[in-house]
Amino acid sequence: MSDNFDREWRLEELLDAAVLDRIGPALDGLLAGDVAIVGIDGTALWGVATGEGLREPLVLELEPVGYLHSRQAAQASLKAIRCLLEQLLRTQARYKMASNLHLEAVAEDFESLRLEHAKLQESEARYKALSADLENRVKAQIVQLEERQQMLYEAERLATVGQLAAGVAHEVNNPLGFVRSNLSTFQNYLGKFAQLKATLGEGEAAWRRLDLDFVLEDGQDLLTDTLKGIDRIARIVAELKSFSNVDRASEEFSDLNDSLHHAANVIEGQLPSGVSIRLNLLPLPGLVCLPGHINQMLLNLMRNAAQAIADAGRSGEVRVSSEADEEGITIRIQDNGVGMKPEQLARAFEPFYTTRPVGSGAGLGLSTVRNIVLAHSGRITLESEPDAGTTVTLFFPVPK
Amino acid sequence: MPDSEAGKLSFKLVYYGPAQSGKTTNLLRLHEQLSPELKGEMMTLETQDDRTLFFDLLPFGFRAPSGLLIKFRLFTVPGQVAHDGTRKAVLSRSDGVVFVADSDRAQETNNAESFQTLAENCSRVGLDFEHLPLVVQFNKRDLPTAVPEAEIRARWESAPWPLVFASALRGDGVEESFEALLRSTYRHYAESHELASRHGLDEDMFVAGALGRQAAP
Ligand SMILES: Nc1nc2c(ncn2[C@@H]2O[C@H](COP(=O)(O)OP(=O)(O)OP(=O)(O)O)[C@@H](O)[C@H]2O)c(=O)[nH]1
Ligand SMILES: [Mg+2]
Repeated sequence: MSDNFDREWRLEELLDAAVLDRIGPALDGLLAGDVAIVGIDGTALWGVATGEGLREPLVLELEPVGYLHSRQAAQASLKAIRCLLEQLLRTQARYKMASNLHLEAVAEDFESLRLEHAKLQESEARYKALSADLENRVKAQIVQLEERQQMLYEAERLATVGQLAAGVAHEVNNPLGFVRSNLSTFQNYLGKFAQLKATLGEGEAAWRRLDLDFVLEDGQDLLTDTLKGIDRIARIVAELKSFSNVDRASEEFSDLNDSLHHAANVIEGQLPSGVSIRLNLLPLPGLVCLPGHINQMLLNLMRNAAQAIADAGRSGEVRVSSEADEEGITIRIQDNGVGMKPEQLARAFEPFYTTRPVGSGAGLGLSTVRNIVLAHSGRITLESEPDAGTTVTLFFPVPK
Repeated sequence: MPDSEAGKLSFKLVYYGPAQSGKTTNLLRLHEQLSPELKGEMMTLETQDDRTLFFDLLPFGFRAPSGLLIKFRLFTVPGQVAHDGTRKAVLSRSDGVVFVADSDRAQETNNAESFQTLAENCSRVGLDFEHLPLVVQFNKRDLPTAVPEAEIRARWESAPWPLVFASALRGDGVEESFEALLRSTYRHYAESHELASRHGLDEDMFVAGALGRQAAP
């Protein structure tokens, strides 16, 4: 049976056992036991219905919900009892309706609250998602900005280094040219001195006194040496020039071993004392790359390695190796220097991160190195142990 | 759906509207004015300063030629905003609604809000508001501050529901409103409950029986 407040009530619901227990004996007392309360379907709730005598309907709203029976009671008495009983039934019905309505209303209120709560939760979830989304977008934008800034910084730096090197090369080349030309002319002049000796005769004593034979001979040696030195300067300058060709932005097909040789040559003269460099290079396939950037990068890695050894305060060796398989080219730059602690290693690729005092960092940061590697579709890995050394491994895939 | 038991068909009709618009007064007037075959006592469940807290209930009815008892149970909802849960519970399972609006100019917003909750609550309690038999009554026409009839008519012109102007206080328009609802109700349920075909009850007889008038010949 439903518990709707507005349903119609049956007599046995309104006169339950507890109520009957209280009013039944009273009714019996009034009518000397000659009374029965009968439900609409004929079952007796109180007393025994005989079907004879008087019958009074019990009406709650419009139609009877049950009957009062009595065999011999006076009609007026029965009517009076009916009146009292109906009053009781109405009170009972009101009470039941009120309590059921109350329950329904509470359920409705609860349901409304639940719906409102669900709506609130939904909008809260939406806002959360929105704010998470915004946060992610802001983060992504920051990363992008940082990358752009870093790229700008690198590009500018590389361009500056390149311009500087090109300028140096140009400036050195000019004096080198005329110094060399002058020296060889002077060499010719010295030859003329030699011829002079034959024609001098009486001046021979003076010649000997001045020991000009030695001067001539030694002069030749000095000039030969000097020329060798000049040639070497010229070669270094030429290398610096080709090496620093970073503003040459177009990609070229080149041999990374050449770049390693170049870089090693450039750094050789700048190695701290007690630090040496050893190349162990196996033949490599050509790689399409930006040689200027690659050269800068290798030079910096070698310089870092040498510096790490110097920082450890001992002598040591920077070992550079290259090899290739069908996958690609692997280059290893290994030092036995100070090494890095795990927390330093973890931050090594952060832009602007350096373990050296600010201002003393001469080379490119590792983040720049990595960016150059990434730009060549390569990979870079760092292995390091404090006080044991660091190994930087570069890998460049070679298209098949 | 009207409640049908053996030999009885019971319609639940609800007077809905903003607080103090005159719903209870409508029922009191009907109780006085109607003289149907069967008329129960008006049950006012609980009030506080004359304001309905639970509901009022007026039962009455008549017998169709077939012997079927046609029963009407008229309820009022509590109009106060705070009692929305009770309002919804009372509105549940209703077969028709008289919306009692207050004609007082100052009550226009309350009327609109209440009408809005009627539509919402109908759908909350599973009633089809679009098809529910509904009559709109503008009560308290006697007030000097009442919005003019022409203005109200213009505003409700395109609405599909019968519009009745009343003064429950004086007793005007109360029966007319109820009659309008009876007609909508009859049209809505007559067929599904075979009122004419099986119980020999046409619309006018239905109205006459409910109001306790002699059916027009
Ligand atoms: N002037 C005027 N007053 C009315 C009219 N109908 C009802 N009232 C008065 O308005 C007040 C509220 O009437 P009710 O019938 O109790 O209003 P209700 O809609 O049942 O109010 P709630 O039960 O609070 O929702 C009473 O003081 C009534 O006398 C009318 O037609 N004109
Ligand atoms: Mg009321």
